[in-house]
Amino acid sequence: MSTNTDANLINMINQIAANLGGGRDEEAAATATCRHLETFWARPMKQRLVANLALEGVEFSPLARRAATLLATRLSERQSIAR
Amino acid sequence: MIGHFDPKQYARSAAHDKDLGTPFPTGTALVNLEIDGITITVPEGTSVLRAAALADINIPKLCATDSLEPFGSCRLCAVEVEGRRGLPASCTTPVVEGMKVTTQNERLAKLRRNVMELYISDHPLDCLTCPANGDCELQDMAGSVGLREVRYGFDGENHLQATKDESNPYFSFDPSKCIVCSRCVRACEEVQGTFALTIDGRGFDSKVAAGQDEAFMDSDCVSCGACVQACPTATLMENSVIDHGVPDRSVVTTCAYCGVGCSFEAQMKGDKLVRMVPYKGGDANHGHSCVKGRFAFGYATHPDRLTTPMIRESIDQPWREASWEEAIGFAASRLKAIQAEHGRESIGGITSSRCTNEETYLVQKLIRAAFGNNNTDTCARVCHSPTGYGLKTTLGESAGTQTFDSVMKADAIIVIGANPTDAHPVFGSMMRKRLRQGAKLIVADPRRIDLLKTPHLNEAQHLPLRPGTNVALINALGHVVITEGLEDQAFVAKRCDTQAYQSWRTFIADPRHSPEASEAITGVAAAAVRQAARTYATAGNGAIYYGLGVTEHSQGSTMVMGIANLAMATGNIGREGVGVNPLRGQNNVQGSCDMGSFPHELPGYQHVADPIARGRFEAAWGVQLDDEPGLRIPNMFDAAIEGTFKALYVQGEDIAQSDPNTQHVEAALRSLDCLIVQDIFLNETAKFAHVLLPGSSFLEKNGTFTNAERRINRVRKVMPPVAGKQDWEITQDLANALGYPMQYVHPSEIMDEIASLTPSFTGVSYAKLEEYGSLQWPCNDEHPHGMPTMHEINFPIGLGRFAITEYVATEERTNRRFPLLLTTGRILSQYNVGAQTRRTDNQHWHDEDVLELHPSDAEVRGVRDGDWLGITSRSGQTVLRARLSERMQPGVVYTTFHHPGSGANVITTDNSDWATNCPEYKVTAVQVERVSQPSAWQQRFNAFDQAQRGYLAKAQQEVP
Repeated sequence: MSTNTDANLINMINQIAANLGGGRDEEAAATATCRHLETFWARPMKQRLVANLALEGVEFSPLARRAATLLATRLSERQSIAR
Repeated sequence: MIGHFDPKQYARSAAHDKDLGTPFPTGTALVNLEIDGITITVPEGTSVLRAAALADINIPKLCATDSLEPFGSCRLCAVEVEGRRGLPASCTTPVVEGMKVTTQNERLAKLRRNVMELYISDHPLDCLTCPANGDCELQDMAGSVGLREVRYGFDGENHLQATKDESNPYFSFDPSKCIVCSRCVRACEEVQGTFALTIDGRGFDSKVAAGQDEAFMDSDCVSCGACVQACPTATLMENSVIDHGVPDRSVVTTCAYCGVGCSFEAQMKGDKLVRMVPYKGGDANHGHSCVKGRFAFGYATHPDRLTTPMIRESIDQPWREASWEEAIGFAASRLKAIQAEHGRESIGGITSSRCTNEETYLVQKLIRAAFGNNNTDTCARVCHSPTGYGLKTTLGESAGTQTFDSVMKADAIIVIGANPTDAHPVFGSMMRKRLRQGAKLIVADPRRIDLLKTPHLNEAQHLPLRPGTNVALINALGHVVITEGLEDQAFVAKRCDTQAYQSWRTFIADPRHSPEASEAITGVAAAAVRQAARTYATAGNGAIYYGLGVTEHSQGSTMVMGIANLAMATGNIGREGVGVNPLRGQNNVQGSCDMGSFPHELPGYQHVADPIARGRFEAAWGVQLDDEPGLRIPNMFDAAIEGTFKALYVQGEDIAQSDPNTQHVEAALRSLDCLIVQDIFLNETAKFAHVLLPGSSFLEKNGTFTNAERRINRVRKVMPPVAGKQDWEITQDLANALGYPMQYVHPSEIMDEIASLTPSFTGVSYAKLEEYGSLQWPCNDEHPHGMPTMHEINFPIGLGRFAITEYVATEERTNRRFPLLLTTGRILSQYNVGAQTRRTDNQHWHDEDVLELHPSDAEVRGVRDGDWLGITSRSGQTVLRARLSERMQPGVVYTTFHHPGSGANVITTDNSDWATNCPEYKVTAVQVERVSQPSAWQQRFNAFDQAQRGYLAKAQQEVP
């Protein structure tokens, strides 16, 4: 995996979380961030981001990590429905 | 026998073709009068001259034209009015109830002949060799009044030896033919608003002068052509007409430069385009133009045009000319092979914001249906994608809310991060007209833009904010509105979501958003921010216009939402004179977004995950469509460098020059196994291509463009495509070669398909466009004639939604190594990457990009005007010439990106808008220093450029 691409994706979700976080409680902010990724991100970007959750030393902001975790759950739900 | 004339019956097109002498009146009450025994009913305020012309009674005239206010100087339009003394000029005489006018009798005929006789006594009698022969109002009037002799002779004092001014590359000024009617001077003032021309001297010595009696090119003249258009003689004349003669036919079409989308008459002689004349019936421009649309069309027949398809195995090889069939077959087999090896998602395409709606629609259809993925994007990604996101989130529709004409009813105008006099000049002129009428102006921009230098400007406030701090400024403006009780509570209560409004209100009222608190961030004095907010909120009609200085930031989308918040909070939405107005860059940026170019949206902004919308497209296109968004342009670059994205089809966009961090883009393009470029020139991107498909200019195709006010205008073919195919035909061939059948025979069929699948376009057809001239979407059963002003009754999402807009500082920061902020923009004479305008005489105005910097920044670095400057950022280095400029604030430098060798985008970074990945072109931390040679990138660029041009030339020479 190219760390550059991963770093980019994590930087992007951190920014999205920072911008969507304002005026919302943490759960709503995480949901809004997750929904943003579902609406605008391509499939490989989402998969790649989620894969980073398991890695050490990755600098997700707390809100971004929560949103990415939520995304991971929803992606696996989707996959199981598809199956 | 005509007994009564009803102006409502007067055909729309005929009204545009005829000069009615004075402008459309502002009155509404109807007035009855009698002209030459015919009863005529016209609106109050109409001149007698115009009323007569409407009834086809044509009173001779010279100084009057319906684009200008009446002047009453030539006295040729004199008439008799029953019960009045003398012979009043009909152009300056308004109609009065019961008035009886005589336009023709012996007394009037004698007066008119005498007037003409005096004119002609000081006019060269070279009609047969005059460039205006056959197109001269003076000649027509001499004929009309029956002038047969000039009793005064021609030996007296005269102006026949006056010297020509040929300094302008596009038109000549021959004062020997001038009749001093002042039409040019008035056009420069009233229509263009530049005030570059004047009448110098008095009486017989009166003459038209540019600036302080300078050559046109040395004066303030911006070469918009309004004076040439207004001149009734050969005094101001297009050089193309002097060279080729008067055109013999004309076709109305739409300009392919900026997002104003002016209508033009392409005036032809056979297949030769002689001149472009702004079309009076154009609803966006009403007969005005700028130097680009009016004159810079020569690129269409430039020798650099690509005329034959080219192919090659790799980019370090010479090109080989190929037949269309071979080239399309080569491209298709490459794409198929790559997908077979690397997967369905390994290829994608970029639609063009310069091509037509139909062509854009077809490219995204090709990608979604034939490539089988959603990897489609367009250059709006790098300009107005935050507008799409921000306006859809708050107002429910990804488009500006007004018509251009709406500005004429605005009382306070805020311009944020836009430079209308340079980038949207025809609209800039309209805005200046409104400012001269007394509207207040607020400009939020790091630079002192030319709009602030509008002659006869009423009240102007400049908020010179630091680049990157837009959101802090808009929040401060919102804070003042709320804390000073300036909001429109009735509007908010009726039209907006209460919960969202309440949370925004609480958020924005927090003291951290006060102008006093944000002064340290924005650099704008708190008092100035308070004054601006009060002006906007209390002036009556407040209108906001914005450009890429809003969108091209790490918080571009947030800023767009902040603008929408401010407009909703003050009730400045849903009627004429107000609104949120993005000024679009390229001619069809609005259209390319509407047509489903974005990877997450099908045409009409319908999300790919929406099963109902997607289902309709699947049924119509006969394929299953991916329900996940595809890659955006910057994501494609990242994936290409990583090796998962292998082929790209680019129609009419020059990503290698226009996109940020050039070295990153170049690396991405070099990583591709197959790059297919469809363009009219060997642009910078094409130098990295394997397949080159020669496209067609806007003059060579049929279709439609949609401008920044959602106006769908026809583009009409006036000459055959240089390389044989219109762009939509090439895309269709590629689809067929990939095994996905497309069989359109005319773009109108593509529009019919668009209408059948796009709820906001269901009422659009070529027949209706012919009938109405243009249509502003949404155009459907609910709005059969389109919708000029949006959100009048409700928002597409029901209630307007306030958004929380927390200011998050950009990661691009200045420090000791990079102490200055670079911001980029455009200038009047060049367009975008310059591929078109650099191949015209517009080069006379701007033949290189320069770095503007404040004299104090220059002084500490020992930089003088004209020095070579190395500009270094975290991304790269380039070298440009220095221009010292007080327009800049200290600490901020500025350049344009119109010339590829300048490498402006070598310096810009990968930072982008959080929501849309629109690049942050407007904020780059840099250092500048004097240097003596081009940068390493520029040296590599020059070598590569030379090699690639050589490869093309070699292929072209090999043709027998």
